[in-house]
Amino acid sequence: MALRAGYLPGINANDVEWQTLTYDRDGQAIEVSVPLLSDEQMKGLSGRIKEASRQHLKSMAVSDITATIDATIARLLDRNDTYRQQAEEYLPLITGYDAEMVRLGLTGYLKTFRQSELRRFVAEDFVNPKILDEFQPLPKGGYGRAYGPDLLAHIWAGNVPGLPLWSLISGLLVKAGNIGKVPSTEPLMASWFAHIIAEIDPKLGQCLAVVWWKGGDVDREQALLNQADLVMAYGNNDTLHQIRDRTPITTRCLTYSHKVSFGMVSKAALDTGKAWEVAHQAAYDIVRYDQQGCYSPHLFFVEQGGAVTPQEFAQYIANELDCFEEKFPRRSLTIEEASGVAAWRQSEEMKSFFAENNAVMGDANDAWSVAYSEAEEDLAPSGLNRTAKVISVKQLDDVPARIAPYKAFLQTVGIAAAPEELQRLAGMLGAVGVTRISALEHMTAPEAGWHHDGRFNLLDLVTMTEVERSAETAAEAFSDYVD
Amino acid sequence: MTEAQIIETLLDFIAADGTTDDEFSPLALEIFAYQFENNIPYQRFCRQREKTPRTMQSWRNIPAVPINGYKDLTLSCCDPEAAERIFMTSGTTKNGVRGKCHHPTLSVYDTSMITAFRQRFMQEHTKLRMGILFPTEQTMPNSSLAHYLALALNEFGSDGSRYLFNDDGLDHEQLFAELDRAEQTGKPYALLGASFSFVHVMDKMSHLGKTVSLPEGSRILDTGGFKGQSRELELNEFYDLLEARFGVPRDHCINMYGMTELSTEFYDWGNATCPSVKSGPHWIRSQIVNPLTGEELPKGDKGILAHCDLAHFNCVSSILTEDAGIELDDGFLLLGRAEGAEAKGCSMAVDEFLKAAQG
Repeated sequence: MALRAGYLPGINANDVEWQTLTYDRDGQAIEVSVPLLSDEQMKGLSGRIKEASRQHLKSMAVSDITATIDATIARLLDRNDTYRQQAEEYLPLITGYDAEMVRLGLTGYLKTFRQSELRRFVAEDFVNPKILDEFQPLPKGGYGRAYGPDLLAHIWAGNVPGLPLWSLISGLLVKAGNIGKVPSTEPLMASWFAHIIAEIDPKLGQCLAVVWWKGGDVDREQALLNQADLVMAYGNNDTLHQIRDRTPITTRCLTYSHKVSFGMVSKAALDTGKAWEVAHQAAYDIVRYDQQGCYSPHLFFVEQGGAVTPQEFAQYIANELDCFEEKFPRRSLTIEEASGVAAWRQSEEMKSFFAENNAVMGDANDAWSVAYSEAEEDLAPSGLNRTAKVISVKQLDDVPARIAPYKAFLQTVGIAAAPEELQRLAGMLGAVGVTRISALEHMTAPEAGWHHDGRFNLLDLVTMTEVERSAETAAEAFSDYVD
Repeated sequence: MTEAQIIETLLDFIAADGTTDDEFSPLALEIFAYQFENNIPYQRFCRQREKTPRTMQSWRNIPAVPINGYKDLTLSCCDPEAAERIFMTSGTTKNGVRGKCHHPTLSVYDTSMITAFRQRFMQEHTKLRMGILFPTEQTMPNSSLAHYLALALNEFGSDGSRYLFNDDGLDHEQLFAELDRAEQTGKPYALLGASFSFVHVMDKMSHLGKTVSLPEGSRILDTGGFKGQSRELELNEFYDLLEARFGVPRDHCINMYGMTELSTEFYDWGNATCPSVKSGPHWIRSQIVNPLTGEELPKGDKGILAHCDLAHFNCVSSILTEDAGIELDDGFLLLGRAEGAEAKGCSMAVDEFLKAAQG
């Protein structure tokens, strides 16, 4: 079966140039056709999306939009639905992730977009969500209404299944028209989502599109950047830098760059009864999507002085990773990925020659590696793909100062600690730039309504129109009933 | 063997021509034994892999040190203080630490370079008038490439050969004078330098609307890639441009593939097609391996290049690069750096982090 990515309302598929992407992992090759729009087509599409957004979307109530998204998500959660079945069948083949991990991951992720969660999502950013529907009184006086852009351009990256839904749903919630560019590494999920939306509410279906071009195709990218009212881009700093440079000055560009996340384990969590479970949770965060997410942990600062030593804890994590390999095998690595893992692993091995207690656990043939260090090590990413480092520290309170220089790269910290420690550490970590603190085992599954990289997902997308009190007062003078 | 014996044996081996695996392997194993004994960090590295000279049958099994190892370890058989010369690595490094390669003597390095350069670059010429698009050895005493180019100029450059580089960088004025002169005299000319220097020169020429047609027999040697020092060009575009700007046919544009962690260079036979097939002289051998396990891959599979360079006798002869390649009958295809780095998701990878952290 030929899979087709993209969603192009108002464009006849026969008029589009289609390219074929081939995914060949472990001998199972599949092909996906992706649309390549001409400059004219992109312009036409942008115009229609803007128009539909103005005519239709802007007049919908947020509650109606959430209802449609909810119905869409319900289908993606329904294992009897054909889209869900395709997702379960093809996403593992395309991304290489273990099928069961993809299935569980999708369900857990999609659940955060059910209606009640979407309401929470809106309420996180808008004290009075009605402000998205109509003018509402403002505390300072006058009235205000929040408008989403007519055309929000999304430039997505990465292969974590479904990640684009985040910004796409955010766009819809603020009534933005959306054109999203899917990455070659996972072009399908956003496309399916758009198709289902259109099946449920054909008019809403006119307000979004999913396109593709090869990463680095500057001309096609420019065609979209020129049309957008707001740009949201994901990727590495070089990519983002380029996108921002080429975004017209009057268009806002929101960028989400790559991040480093890590775990912290207090000695309070290291008694013999609890440490195994904590290690299991830490390993789970490493295994989920093979550390490809910005919330995935690269290393763990583990406190000395517990019944279980940091070194033993590192061994526990190693054991758990080995067990997970049975349940959720690591995807097969490309030569480039393997080279990254090898470089990290060998570098850690060589450090261990001269530091008495440093060690690298796991065999070169294993699908995971854990390095252990007692040195005063700084924050640094691991080799990814199930490689992690345990750094032994005297006390967790010392960690925030060590990571402070890396403020621009920090995101999630998974913590296992007692309540008062959690509180104290949260204050210190927030001060050095950490934007999210979760329990271990939850690092890769942010709760609904989280503030991605500490930003306001919805609030960042809107502009306010304010009717000041003076206008109200002045209008009174011109009313019919003026004395 | 002692250091002196190794050096003598190596010089003989380099001078001898057409050696087979049967001759290469025993010497590789002897040099490995020497390095195992005298290079303690390397010994630890080997022991961790349960490899010692006793267990070794062929050069193919000698543990290859990842080039990153030079940043963490001092890999030298001789007392590092006593080295005649230290070459240092460039590129993105941890905390600005650069890897060091110690050379107790440059005699082997120089012989290796001169012998292979004569065969692969000079070919029918004994001397050529040369222009070097790179700083001098005095300016960059720790650059192996600066030394390499100085050797080329001193050994093979005819009178009038010169550096086309001054304190401010490329000396375009002198360069264009040299090119014009070559065009007028009709004598073959050789232009050598870093790949990115050629890009800068060609950008300048394009700006000025200048092209030259160097005489028949002229050749170009570029090396090192663009490394963020100039715009990145597709190889085909790069060699098309060289041919168009300098009038040197693509099959006379030779790319040299070398690295600080080696004492021998690889060359292609021109770049009429890209990627070109690279090969080295008889005292260096290459394997394509799985980077994680070090196991050799079947011919034709894409993997990471590992080299065993006998001439790099003082440090380690067997290194694991970060370059991807494919083995062919007459050499290997160099597919460029295996950017293992980039994550498929939004997680940050080591290379990007180093780059960003260094601002």
